[in-house]
Amino acid sequence: MIEARHVTKDYGSVVAVRDVSFDVAKGEIVGFLGPNGAGKTTTLRMLAGFLGATSGSVKIHGHDIATESLEARAKLGYMPEAAPLYPELRVREYLAFRAALKRVPGRERKAAVARSLELAAVKDVAETPIGQLSKGYRQRVALADALVSNPPLLILDEPTAGLDPNQIVEVRKLVRELGQSHTILLSTHILPEVEAVCQRALVIAGGRLVAEGTIAELQARKHGRETRVTVRGDGEKLANALRELAGVKAVRATEVAGAPDIAELVLEVLPDADAEVTLERAVAALVAAGGGVRQVSPARASLEAVFAELTQAEEPKAGDA
Amino acid sequence: MSGFLAVYRREMLSLWVTPLAWVLLVVFLLLQGTIFYSIVVHFTSLADLAVETGPIEAYFGQESVFLLMTLLLVCPALTMRTFAEERRSGTIETLLTAPVTPVGIVLGKYLAVLTTYAAMWAPTVLYVVVLRKTGSIDWHTVGSSYLGLFGVGAAYLALGTLMSSLSKSQLIALLLAIFAEFGLFVLGVGEYVFEPGLVRDVCAHLSIGSQMEEMSRGIVDLRRIVFDGSIAVTSLFVTSRVVDSWRWG
Repeated sequence: MIEARHVTKDYGSVVAVRDVSFDVAKGEIVGFLGPNGAGKTTTLRMLAGFLGATSGSVKIHGHDIATESLEARAKLGYMPEAAPLYPELRVREYLAFRAALKRVPGRERKAAVARSLELAAVKDVAETPIGQLSKGYRQRVALADALVSNPPLLILDEPTAGLDPNQIVEVRKLVRELGQSHTILLSTHILPEVEAVCQRALVIAGGRLVAEGTIAELQARKHGRETRVTVRGDGEKLANALRELAGVKAVRATEVAGAPDIAELVLEVLPDADAEVTLERAVAALVAAGGGVRQVSPARASLEAVFAELTQAEEPKAGDA
Repeated sequence: MSGFLAVYRREMLSLWVTPLAWVLLVVFLLLQGTIFYSIVVHFTSLADLAVETGPIEAYFGQESVFLLMTLLLVCPALTMRTFAEERRSGTIETLLTAPVTPVGIVLGKYLAVLTTYAAMWAPTVLYVVVLRKTGSIDWHTVGSSYLGLFGVGAAYLALGTLMSSLSKSQLIALLLAIFAEFGLFVLGVGEYVFEPGLVRDVCAHLSIGSQMEEMSRGIVDLRRIVFDGSIAVTSLFVTSRVVDSWRWG
């Protein structure tokens, strides 16, 4: 649905986006993740045809955004950051205008507007001037605008920015529902959002794509070989017992507050060792050393930690990208 | 041309649901009414003299400097928001990511202000209708006078649209448009300033005042129409290139 190839955008000496390539397949919900100023908006603007790429190419639904711009733009619904709207128009008037602009045939326009009012849950304010709407409603009107021509692809730039927690939940629910019939690329700097709605994420930092994969893959990148074990006994002594085992890379022991005889061990397995077998041996070794094993769980790295690691280096190493 | 009709209708709606068009209409009609009233009063004091022209010819013709001054106020104010406001508020992003061409957008916006301009002149036809009671009216000269005004407006509004595309600030767009349109007006004044020669001829040809003077007497010189049209077409063409260039900003 989206094919971006070596997309680069520079403003004179400042390179905003460099050599970004990725695909978004039909039916996917993809999160476009990155800290503020990483180049998310610039990239999305290039995908939507608002900005021209300095080099590289973008294809939307098979149409090149530069050479077959009108065809490509007809296939996408784009919601810009901060949801710019005309304050003097009523919601229904605005959507009717957008539907006409997006070549919805005159006979179907009324139905298209009604459908997007319904989908974005803004039916109750259809006759209200946009200037009088709250931030949450404006955001949803902008979403209704993206939906009005029922395009196969939606590109949403920070769809939940500036909303209160209840509204965020609603918008996420809506995005998930829309994902059943549309391909969606949405940008955000809020990680739980990606976890909540996206199947796959692209991580951008310093204008480069630094990682790409499913949420689970991203989490596994750095911390996938760690296991957390809660034991009763002397934490340091038990940790030493584990360090002697083959296949163990490192063990960290921490005390559990309020329970002096309980310790928490984080076991990291060597990359070339069999994680399952090593874990089995480790539990046996803990028991042999007199420790009471209470809980064994994979140390699931928070997406925040992965995100921080991926985006901290402004100039990531070649092997990292 | 894609998107033209939708943009045109949106512009008309936005112009007329906000106070701007109504405020301009009131100010415009107030000024026109005052000018026309003064001219009529002036002519009644000449009642016994044999005069070649009537108040209507004077209003559109010899005294058209007043009328053109009001246009310098109204036209830039009509066009200042066309592009500047879209860029300031960010709605230009939604506009340019819809399947529309720059030419469609520019023409839609331009024809909306031109329609509004024509609508502002429409009530002044009443002046002529009122005067009909006092003597005979030559509807042909009235027609050519309005044609002249339409030509001037077409040129001024196209210049103003171009100026609006050059700035994100409505105020700057307004000032630039006043500057450009006043410049065009002042060129014509050169006809009365310079010695006979090339410069004076050029000024005479470019003079909007002379255009109105001729048109008010029923002389429709195609060169005048072509001149107005050229300014409009050139300005709109440049505007569409400016709109296209934002992609590369």
